[in-house]
Amino acid sequence: MNASASTRPDYSTYPRLTMAEARDAARQLIAMRGAGSTVDDVRLLSLQRFYAMEARLLDEERYQEWYELLADDLFYWLPLRQNRHRREGGDGADPDAMAFFDDCKADIAVRVGRLASGLAWTEDPPTRHVYVISNVEGFETGVAGELEVHSTFIQYRNRSEHDDATIVGRRRDLLRIAGDGYMIARRLVLVPQSVLLTKNLSVFF
Amino acid sequence: MTFNASSYVDPEFGSVDRRIFWSPEIYELELERIFARSWLFVAHESQLEKPGSFLTTYMGQDPVIVSRDAQGINVFLNSCPHRGNRVCFADSGESRQFTCNYHGWAFGLDGALKRMPKMGIYKATPGFRMEDWGLKRARVASYKGLVFANFDEAAPSLDEWLGDFRWYLDAVLDAEDGGTEFLPGGATRSVLNCNWKFPADNFVGDIYHALWTHLGGAEPTLGPHGGVKVENERSWHVSVNGHGWEFNDSFYGNAATMGDREVLRYMRSRQEAITKRLGEFRANMWGSVASSTIFPNFSFLPGYFTFRTFQPKGPTRTEIHAWTLVPRNMPDEIKDRFRRGSMRTFSPGGILEMDDGENWEHSTAVNAGWVTRHQRLCYAMNPQDEMAETGLAGNVRAGQLSDFNQREFYRQWMKMMDASSWQDIELAPVAGPAAEAVE
Ligand code: FES
Ligand SMILES: [Fe+2]
Repeated sequence: MNASASTRPDYSTYPRLTMAEARDAARQLIAMRGAGSTVDDVRLLSLQRFYAMEARLLDEERYQEWYELLADDLFYWLPLRQNRHRREGGDGADPDAMAFFDDCKADIAVRVGRLASGLAWTEDPPTRHVYVISNVEGFETGVAGELEVHSTFIQYRNRSEHDDATIVGRRRDLLRIAGDGYMIARRLVLVPQSVLLTKNLSVFF
Repeated sequence: MTFNASSYVDPEFGSVDRRIFWSPEIYELELERIFARSWLFVAHESQLEKPGSFLTTYMGQDPVIVSRDAQGINVFLNSCPHRGNRVCFADSGESRQFTCNYHGWAFGLDGALKRMPKMGIYKATPGFRMEDWGLKRARVASYKGLVFANFDEAAPSLDEWLGDFRWYLDAVLDAEDGGTEFLPGGATRSVLNCNWKFPADNFVGDIYHALWTHLGGAEPTLGPHGGVKVENERSWHVSVNGHGWEFNDSFYGNAATMGDREVLRYMRSRQEAITKRLGEFRANMWGSVASSTIFPNFSFLPGYFTFRTFQPKGPTRTEIHAWTLVPRNMPDEIKDRFRRGSMRTFSPGGILEMDDGENWEHSTAVNAGWVTRHQRLCYAMNPQDEMAETGLAGNVRAGQLSDFNQREFYRQWMKMMDASSWQDIELAPVAGPAAEAVE
């Protein structure tokens, strides 16, 4: 190891989930279908503010600040979508299947590390991002301080001269109330494309 | 079109005409001369365990259904002979038959036409025979779990096509008792605006790019500029019929960049048994710093065990389909670590793969320029490439930093593009099992 290598973070000490915890989190996300009572308007407004702020951090590539919004027991999941016949259950996300993101907080730290390295040539010159967040719905979960929140997003990226990509999708979050704001404890990202019509997912949702 | 592939490729010095990455006419000829007569990967047997299980994929731009019936695995066109509609729209599943949405013609698991509405009218039609109107079948053969298909009746067998490359393939396909499987849940699929040959050529021999392209992705797990270590000591290129594998003898060099110590601990625990089974030389290929392409468009990376096809979708468009292969006997916990590890490195959201696609897209797109298109590309690295003194089968060259496998890939491309039939394409003779150990 060279000298500079010793300055790199030791990712093995970063927060991780066990395999069983991650699978439980995935099942919890699958089960989140907006069954609880809806939050009141004051709460809803504060959720909308939170998502607008989060979107702005991602627009501006303020990844370290965004990372601070993630709970230590984060499970962040972007499963594959498949074309399956309805008689076979259609397209249910499977916690044991391959995925595009199946991450705990330590994995997100590695991704942020790539973007922060100054060596990710495909992000230099920088990508220009716009996040649009809508259809925010909040539900009580029965656990004090925890909320189930559903939302939709449009994530538009453009870089270089003509490279552009639009990902539209739906998110299911489990948020924890933290003072005036929230921590993201679970996030399910459902992108409708079964073949991803873009070259990479060098981006967060 | 009058086309002379040898004027586009110089495999001796190492240069390639850029028009082969751009021209619609050349692409059309590739569909005919490369894809319609090569053995193309279509499935792993583990995806089709039960009779009735099926999946859909592509051979070139031809959509196909791969299905298992009581007799074995069948591959046939996914296009109805009645009016041509696509017959099956699911990626995979289980079925007793395939029924076309348009007029309801129904086909068996072997593609044969079984029935249709108002069947009596056809029965009474002079000259109409049910057996003439099934879904067009391809030849099918497999090698240690990997299923290939070929639409050309004149093509040599899969064994001849793979030739001595089989002996090297065993380093990932036959390292453990019980064979291998694909992890369940389908393929990650994504689209690149590039010519299909750029990713295939990258995997067949280009470790060189990893030293630069993947610096950002490797930094978090391997340290600043600590990136991928590539030496020309104890490393090789091997090429057979355009299939190529570049590798060193690090045993788990690729796997190390997944940044999962449990995976490395597990791989180390298997080293002795695998060495006993395969000999030291091939055992060291199991998860080493390496990449490989089976001509024309089926590639894999040992260590991450990502297996992928680069599906051609036009001269400047390619779809990547990727799976993760593991030894069947591997503990579930380790399989899960490979599932997540390969996803985090080599999927469209993987920290290493994210840096590749853009290069291939722009290497393709610049050829819109007429002047640009008429410049040749350089494949001249390490032209001395001495035949390595390994005593191993195939075309083995010493050193990993070399364009040797890429030159051989384009030599095979050139041979097939110039030949009007299989009679004019010569495959390498099969030397048989190579020496078990190399010092
Ligand atoms: S096109 Fe398939 S039944 Fe008519
Ligand atoms: Fe690469």
